[in-house]
Amino acid sequence: MRRRHFIKDLIAGAVASSVLNSAAVEAAFSPQTGQRYLRPPGSLPEKEFEERCIRCGQCGEACPNRCIEYFDLENGVNSLNTPYITPRSKACILCMKCGQVCPTGAIKPLQRTAEDIIGFVKMGKARVEKSLCLSYQGKTCGVCYRACPLQDVAIKVQLLEQPVVLDACVGCGLCERSCIQLPQAIKIVPDHIRAVG
Amino acid sequence: MNKELKSFFLWRHLNKMRWLVLSLVFMMLVFLPFAHVYQTYVASFSYDLLNPSEKQLYDFMEMITSPFINDPALDLDAIKGNTWSGNFFGYKISDPLAVVGQIAAGLTIYWPFFLTAIIPIVLTIIFGRFFCGWICPATFLYELNTILSLSLQRIGIKAGKKRFDRRLKYAVLAIGLAISAFTGAVLVSMIYPPAIIGREIYFATALGGFGAGLLFFILTILFDLLVSRRGFCRYVCPGGALYSMLGRFRLFRIKRIVENCNDCAKCNAVCEFGLDPLRDKFGQECNNCTACIAVCPTDALTFNIKIVDEENQGPGHLGKAYLKNDNK
Repeated sequence: MRRRHFIKDLIAGAVASSVLNSAAVEAAFSPQTGQRYLRPPGSLPEKEFEERCIRCGQCGEACPNRCIEYFDLENGVNSLNTPYITPRSKACILCMKCGQVCPTGAIKPLQRTAEDIIGFVKMGKARVEKSLCLSYQGKTCGVCYRACPLQDVAIKVQLLEQPVVLDACVGCGLCERSCIQLPQAIKIVPDHIRAVG
Repeated sequence: MNKELKSFFLWRHLNKMRWLVLSLVFMMLVFLPFAHVYQTYVASFSYDLLNPSEKQLYDFMEMITSPFINDPALDLDAIKGNTWSGNFFGYKISDPLAVVGQIAAGLTIYWPFFLTAIIPIVLTIIFGRFFCGWICPATFLYELNTILSLSLQRIGIKAGKKRFDRRLKYAVLAIGLAISAFTGAVLVSMIYPPAIIGREIYFATALGGFGAGLLFFILTILFDLLVSRRGFCRYVCPGGALYSMLGRFRLFRIKRIVENCNDCAKCNAVCEFGLDPLRDKFGQECNNCTACIAVCPTDALTFNIKIVDEENQGPGHLGKAYLKNDNK
């Protein structure tokens, strides 16, 4: 009797799985990339991150800058209660405490050294909008360059303090946070969005 | 009365101890987010820029933490997290359900994370479902909720007394893990009250607002109040299901001393999980909360070290049914 129930449950589970894999449900569960957000520094790629993260909230509790916020349902059920950073409102200072405290390795435990940060942190990459940037409009500014924790490695300036983003940029967002233009002339393009398209 | 049959006198007082532990854990969950906010103020050297209420918080936290620590920005990092997963002086401790849920979501085992759940798993194998009775912050609120419903009954508002199949929660656990596997996200954490409470207290303190989890928790409270007493823990909670299975052959069990029992059934009335101590049916669901030991008027309940329950021992020897049979 019990075994029969078990087999019934198995069949029901298989049916449920086929329903769950349908496109409409997929759209509800998976992130819709409408919002531009960063994952904490050292996070795994988006899909693996959602599998690993157990939503304990310790990364936010360890962040001395309180830049880590948590999703509600606005980014799909899959990223409910997962951490994110909005660089324009508060950017990451690359202290690497969230990785030390993460129990699951969804955020890799990294040391606060240049090698670790440049080698393993891939939150995104900054992009300069030249039509908005003051320096490219002939007024020397250079605020983004001065805000960068990896000066001359991730960002360099040309004549008139025109910023040029280099390949080593980890996407912490401090340049976007500090940009004095409205809307900001330098933006972080998150890694998971770049990967999608 | 034989002296050996007496229950050890301290077991009666374990229930008070349990309330102390529960309230300490809950106070810790409220304290830690505030400590974090205080840490961020210290780290930014911004005392002069804070508004008056934030200054009050700063001063208060400084007052209560300064005797123990030197540098709040660093030293308060020693204890972080909540009962779902926490950092305790460098040791990471996680809920077994978090590990199981993560294995289901990723379909791989990440061993460093698995090891963080070893201590709870071993303790559960020894003490059974003790987390549910002694630590879980939701239990604290649910038991207060039970007290509320009892006092509502006193003024005439009836509480729900529906009973469902206890095995429902194993189905919830299985379905939750299955959905986690299909969607690739740890969805069990969204229907597990201790995880929700830890998160929501942090959200409310540090991020300025409750999240979607609070709504779910309020629904469970209303379910307990209106439909079934302690219904969520009894019939739905996936963590309770996992702990019950792990604690099936627990070493520490509550046992009825049939010679002392007078069949008053107070233990059955007080049992939050709707078990049947009067007929020796504790089963894997008992969370060793010791409420029945505390309420027993004849000290007929005690702890026993054995991996299975006693067989049904029949009516208590001080009870009416037994004495009637005796006279015949």
